[in-house]
Amino acid sequence: MRVILRTKPRKKPFIPIEAETIIPQNFLRKNDIRVYEGNKERRLEEIFYITAEGPAVSPDQVEIVLSGETGNIKRVGEYMNAGRIVVEGDIGMHCGNFMSAGEIIIKGNADAWLGREMRGGTIRCEGNAGHYCAAGYRGEKRGMRGGLVDVMGSAGDFTAEYLSGGEVRIHGDCGDLPGVEMRGGTLTIGGHCHRPCGNMTGGTCMVFGRVYDLLPTFRGAGNEEREYRGQRCQMMLYKGDTANRGKGSLLVKKNLNRTGTD
Amino acid sequence: MSEFLIRNAYVIDPLSGIKGEIMDIAIRNGRIVEEVGSNAEVIDADHCLTLPGGIDSHSHVCGTKVNFGRYMSPEDMRAGRTARKGVMHVTSGYSVPTTFGNSYRYSVMGYTTVLEGAMAPLEARHTHEEFTATPHQDMLANTLFDGNWSIMEAVREKDMKRAAAVVAWTLSAVKGFAIKLTNPGGTEAWGWGEDVHSIQDQVPHFGVTPAEIIQTMIRANELLNLPHSVHLHCNALGVPGNYRTTLDTIDLVPDLNDKRQSLYLTHLQFHSYGGSTWKDISSKSEDIARAVNNKPAVAIDMGQIMFGRTTTMTADGPMEFKLYMLHHNKWSNHDVELETGSGIIPVYYSRKSLVNCVMWAIGLELALLVKDPWRCMLSTDNPNGAPFVKYPEIIALLMSRHFRENEIALLDPRTAHYVPLPAIDRELDWYDIAVMTRAGQAKALGITGIGKGSLAPGAEADIAIYPLKPESLDPSAEYQQVMAGFGKTRYTIKRGRVVARDGDVVVEGANSTIWTRATVPPGYDLSVDPEFMKKFEQYYTVRMSNYPVQDVYLPRGICIPTEASL
Ligand SMILES: [Zn+2]
Repeated sequence: MRVILRTKPRKKPFIPIEAETIIPQNFLRKNDIRVYEGNKERRLEEIFYITAEGPAVSPDQVEIVLSGETGNIKRVGEYMNAGRIVVEGDIGMHCGNFMSAGEIIIKGNADAWLGREMRGGTIRCEGNAGHYCAAGYRGEKRGMRGGLVDVMGSAGDFTAEYLSGGEVRIHGDCGDLPGVEMRGGTLTIGGHCHRPCGNMTGGTCMVFGRVYDLLPTFRGAGNEEREYRGQRCQMMLYKGDTANRGKGSLLVKKNLNRTGTD
Repeated sequence: MSEFLIRNAYVIDPLSGIKGEIMDIAIRNGRIVEEVGSNAEVIDADHCLTLPGGIDSHSHVCGTKVNFGRYMSPEDMRAGRTARKGVMHVTSGYSVPTTFGNSYRYSVMGYTTVLEGAMAPLEARHTHEEFTATPHQDMLANTLFDGNWSIMEAVREKDMKRAAAVVAWTLSAVKGFAIKLTNPGGTEAWGWGEDVHSIQDQVPHFGVTPAEIIQTMIRANELLNLPHSVHLHCNALGVPGNYRTTLDTIDLVPDLNDKRQSLYLTHLQFHSYGGSTWKDISSKSEDIARAVNNKPAVAIDMGQIMFGRTTTMTADGPMEFKLYMLHHNKWSNHDVELETGSGIIPVYYSRKSLVNCVMWAIGLELALLVKDPWRCMLSTDNPNGAPFVKYPEIIALLMSRHFRENEIALLDPRTAHYVPLPAIDRELDWYDIAVMTRAGQAKALGITGIGKGSLAPGAEADIAIYPLKPESLDPSAEYQQVMAGFGKTRYTIKRGRVVARDGDVVVEGANSTIWTRATVPPGYDLSVDPEFMKKFEQYYTVRMSNYPVQDVYLPRGICIPTEASL
């Protein structure tokens, strides 16, 4: 089954919509699905033109397509456990919170907290992602635990904070402090970043661009070879964060930066 | 004039010697009376278990420490969310919920009085503000004296009367209820990066030992004729092999009061460990229970742990640091000027951890091996061992051997090697539970005189009616029903008003805060003592005149006045 949700024009388009109900399992039966516009509860058809085509007997046969002004629709795909969501444009904060399986494709940009504390499944974002992409939430010590977040563009600060499992790939740049508090999983950064992996206790972070302001608590541990986008790269390996047991690995591509401070 | 009549109640009222009788209870203007008129509103209890309102004699629900637990654990607020409903405010949180969350959950379980286990005197205002926002329970505050400089100086000078004078001034200034000693001397030592390891260790710079502090304070407490005894969190909490320190402490206790015990030892589970490291930790509950059984002058509470997530918080700063070194998670450490300190960390008690399994067993063993239920209160040291919402499950474990066996089967299989629990047959009965959850507390806290803990005419009409029919229910087999029943009253009545019904809170609540004021002879009034005033001005960041908590912080304060024998 394919469900197409196209946004209707709204009187106050800046009021965000909270739409944790937009997940494939909810569309299997034609439930009365509701979302919030600000503090007002709305029926789904008050916000979207809805067209549904084809049958489905299980949630993994459901595909939801969101189009139109979707940039401030929040929490789409929260707790999603099967199926597919395709966002034709941008998506608001908290897309794919806690998702455990299935796939989300975003053709535009994603706002902050993309895939926060995700357990499994795949999120692909063809544009940029905001701050706290694939991170844990306030106070939670285990962030993303499984699955894949693949961002073609850049991501903001605190990418993959508290990452404890699964894989995060940012093909562009990251902002400040990617992989901070990491304890497992893999973070790959195709571009540049600042101060990666502070206080990491486990996991692996690879940076194929420049690292600015490498923290002094990372200890050189030799060289390794890694492959990125079909190219073999010589990497410098650092173990850290030695301020917190130092069991994580940070690999930085050679030649681009010398001590990490240029 | 409001009148109520509760009909056909299955009453257990240990303080009145009622051990399960079908009775009517008459209420007028918030008090229990002999009889009421024919126009009284009638509640048909239908043979359901009816007890005096529950009293928690050791819980952490209000004050800066609890609030810091809230700050540092925003993830805790994801659980326990309830929307606004009728008179109920929104609530959130599991181990450190909002004040209304605490209050409603206690009320729904039939609890009408709660003692906050540790109030830092300097931060008393905030504690009282949170008491006011915990509207369904009468609140009392144990006041921390463990690292109080003036107390330690008095102990060094062997001047018991001076110590009593410090307590009298402080309790009345901060509107506290009783003396709390948390790891006496240890928190002051922690200010120097140290700790005390036994009751004979010296506190740095003061040259006094925990044993001297404890003995002086027990006697000073009696000089002031305070309702409650000294409330002690022993030294060496959570350290393998610490049962020796606990036994040494119990040995110190004189019997000085014929109305109640002379020392209350809190969360004794955390103080009953054998072994020498975390690898060989074992239960010493049998030794501890024997010592308690042989010493009528002490009362204890269990400090049961239950598996799952919670937050630990205590004035015992050095102990929390040791826990932090084990978990490497979040940690807060706090110093309270000339008085005390605190530490907070979140923890997860797991069935996969042998240490946690041993701890779980010890709490239950203490409750089952201490023969006199009047001297062993049910507690989790909320939230240190578990949030208080686990009490019904603990009651069911104590009442049903079958339930315990089922739970033991889920533990690390090595547990049985380190604990005596599997061999203990005792199943507590309804009377024991009534004692351990209200009557025992009322006696130990010395608040029977203001009408707490009983259903006799003249008592406060604090009543809990549970959907449990002891005449036909076998708690040993039907423990699930016991658990559900103690979790949600049919009616909770506070001061003659129905405050909760079938799990919903139905009125706003208007609690009282109970505090003590000991009147001392002029020579012992520290508010005009030059030496005390000088110390205050020299070391505190607040002026002495700004220190006392004003009456406005206690909108419905109840003062228990005493006359000191100095
Ligand atoms: Zn406590």
